[in-house]
Amino acid sequence: MHMPSLRQAVFAATLTSVALVPGAAFAETLSIWARASSSNAAQHMVDLWNASHDDKVELTTIPDNQMVTKLATSVQSGDVPDLISFDLIFMPDFMKAGFLTDLTDELAADPNQAKVAQAFRDLASYEGRLYGTGFTPDVSILLYNKDVFAKAGLDPESPPRTIGQLQEYATTIKEKVPDAYGYYFSGSCGGCNIFTQAPMMWASGATLLPTSGEAPAMEGPGVAEVLTMLKEMWEGGIIPESAEADTGANFFSAFEAGNIGMVGSGGFAISALKANHPDMNFGIAPLPGLNEGQASSFVGGDVIAIPKGAKNADLALQFIQWQLTDEAQLEGLAKNLILPSRTDLADNKYFQAEPRYIVTAEAVGIGQTPYAFHFNDMVNADQSPWLTMIQTAVFDGDVEGAIEEARRAMQDIAAD
Amino acid sequence: MIRALRKSEGFLYVLPALVFVAAFVLYPFGQLFYLSLTDTSLLGGGEFVGFENYIKAFEDRSFWRALEFTVRYTIFITPVLMGGGYALALLTAPNRPLRQITRGIIFLPVVIGIGSSSLLWFWLFDQQVGLFNRILVDIGILQQPAVWFTKADMGLLAVIISITWKVIGFGMLLFVAGIQSINGEIGEAALIDGGNYWQRVWYILLPLSLRVILLTTLISVIGSMLAFEQFYIMTGGNPRGQTFTSVYWIYQNSFISFKLGYGAALSIILTAIVLVFSTLQVLLSNRSPSQ
Repeated sequence: MHMPSLRQAVFAATLTSVALVPGAAFAETLSIWARASSSNAAQHMVDLWNASHDDKVELTTIPDNQMVTKLATSVQSGDVPDLISFDLIFMPDFMKAGFLTDLTDELAADPNQAKVAQAFRDLASYEGRLYGTGFTPDVSILLYNKDVFAKAGLDPESPPRTIGQLQEYATTIKEKVPDAYGYYFSGSCGGCNIFTQAPMMWASGATLLPTSGEAPAMEGPGVAEVLTMLKEMWEGGIIPESAEADTGANFFSAFEAGNIGMVGSGGFAISALKANHPDMNFGIAPLPGLNEGQASSFVGGDVIAIPKGAKNADLALQFIQWQLTDEAQLEGLAKNLILPSRTDLADNKYFQAEPRYIVTAEAVGIGQTPYAFHFNDMVNADQSPWLTMIQTAVFDGDVEGAIEEARRAMQDIAAD
Repeated sequence: MIRALRKSEGFLYVLPALVFVAAFVLYPFGQLFYLSLTDTSLLGGGEFVGFENYIKAFEDRSFWRALEFTVRYTIFITPVLMGGGYALALLTAPNRPLRQITRGIIFLPVVIGIGSSSLLWFWLFDQQVGLFNRILVDIGILQQPAVWFTKADMGLLAVIISITWKVIGFGMLLFVAGIQSINGEIGEAALIDGGNYWQRVWYILLPLSLRVILLTTLISVIGSMLAFEQFYIMTGGNPRGQTFTSVYWIYQNSFISFKLGYGAALSIILTAIVLVFSTLQVLLSNRSPSQ
């Protein structure tokens, strides 16, 4: 007869004791995918969770431009992560496709959900149901170089409050400061421009992306004016020549060179500039509209959701509810100078030391996010109607024709 | 009976290869063809639509413009790679230490991923920080750093430069193998008969390495017709979509616009076009002289 060895006996006893202890369970490991541009913020949250929970979260970073494809193919193949953090702009397409778990009841019972920025609550809703919530937000702002302003004889503490002033200041910089440019934008990047130029249009009252084939597109005040402003600045040499071909690689780095007066950018720029260029004297302002008092922003960033078929959906829900708590929002995000997704925590002890964050926090309140299906096709694609419109208007000089063609193409896509 | 058994025996020998081809080539290709007959989206769903995608493809001006650009790229880059590769092979074919080291150095970029090399060249061509621009300014070819990707022709030239650097060593290596396999006595006989270097290259080396040249050209043409990464990274299809290649346009439709069915139809059309090119070259190759 085979006698069990001491090691086998101990192993069996351990297994038995674990099984007999009420509630005893092995710690789980949750998987989360986050796109590259928000993975830094996501990592802070994951680290904070892992420091205080037995169940661990493992973050996988996905390149931004592969996230849509990766999620779509993973859902189709049934091999999905437990959580996914992605650009909120894709929520309508993913919700409509049935890729995400319905969290309506669970989030309705969470008092923190009502405090999440409105843009996230809107974009995560489809046919009256809720499929996700805010995770790591960012907003677009106007970034300006105070030293360049001073050299041009402009008041560094008075950024432009209308697009007319923006053009005027940019022209002054070009005229007065050798080797400097007044303004910069990435002329071949649809996503960059919806983030930074579109808010100036809708601050002025424009309606941009259609929700159906008959809905208005590229209409209202601001569209032609912003495009004309860019066209005139381009023709006047106020924008660097390299802007035309920039697919987004220099979206932020162009400003880092120190010879750009103003650029549309994101809240992320504050911590990036403070870390990489501590001596740079820069300011933050809301993106202006046509008239004084008009300002807006693109509320971007990432939502967090549970893909359909996630293996640890219950634990994933716990993580989502935890990341909305005061502790996670303040110690995970604000402490690392990242905007919290809850608007009630925008004014916090960490931001009070850096007034420039107050501008970004306020931008969340005045900002918008377009709710559109086929966003990729309309805006992000390399030959999207939105990008083609900007290029035709600014670089070819045909503003009205560009708008008309974009309107037709967008409505065709929306009707599909 | 024995003859029949022998036939079966032969079939059994090739069966593993047939199974491999069926599983990894024919079945996926069949799936691709079926997909091309549907309006399947990357986001799910899809119905059978017959040849609707093909009809749409023939009316898709962007696809044909991308194909035209791809052919133009292939026509420009193929002679550069073949001519340059052969010239380098002539220089480095003899097995002497310095020439072997030179061969190794020229071949080195071949082992770098095309994505990495494209990214490297993208920044080398950058107007602000690009080293390539700086060198051209320093040696007086340019007055000031150029913006390479705002004009389609300049963008194409930039990609051709980067790809030439990346893959010319591959052609060179195949040509070296071809040249070294030629019986040395033929060259010696020509030398005794008073043939100079270029006469030996023209009348002996070139004709006797024609099969290798045609094979390498075939590989190069197929590679160029399927170009994607270099344009995706370096030009992004710009300006105004003028540097989209066929594969780039297929990618746009399949993964950006989510139209998998339509993308599959475009892929089938491109496969057919490449197949015609390849068949022509194989036929030419079969008619070339052997040693």
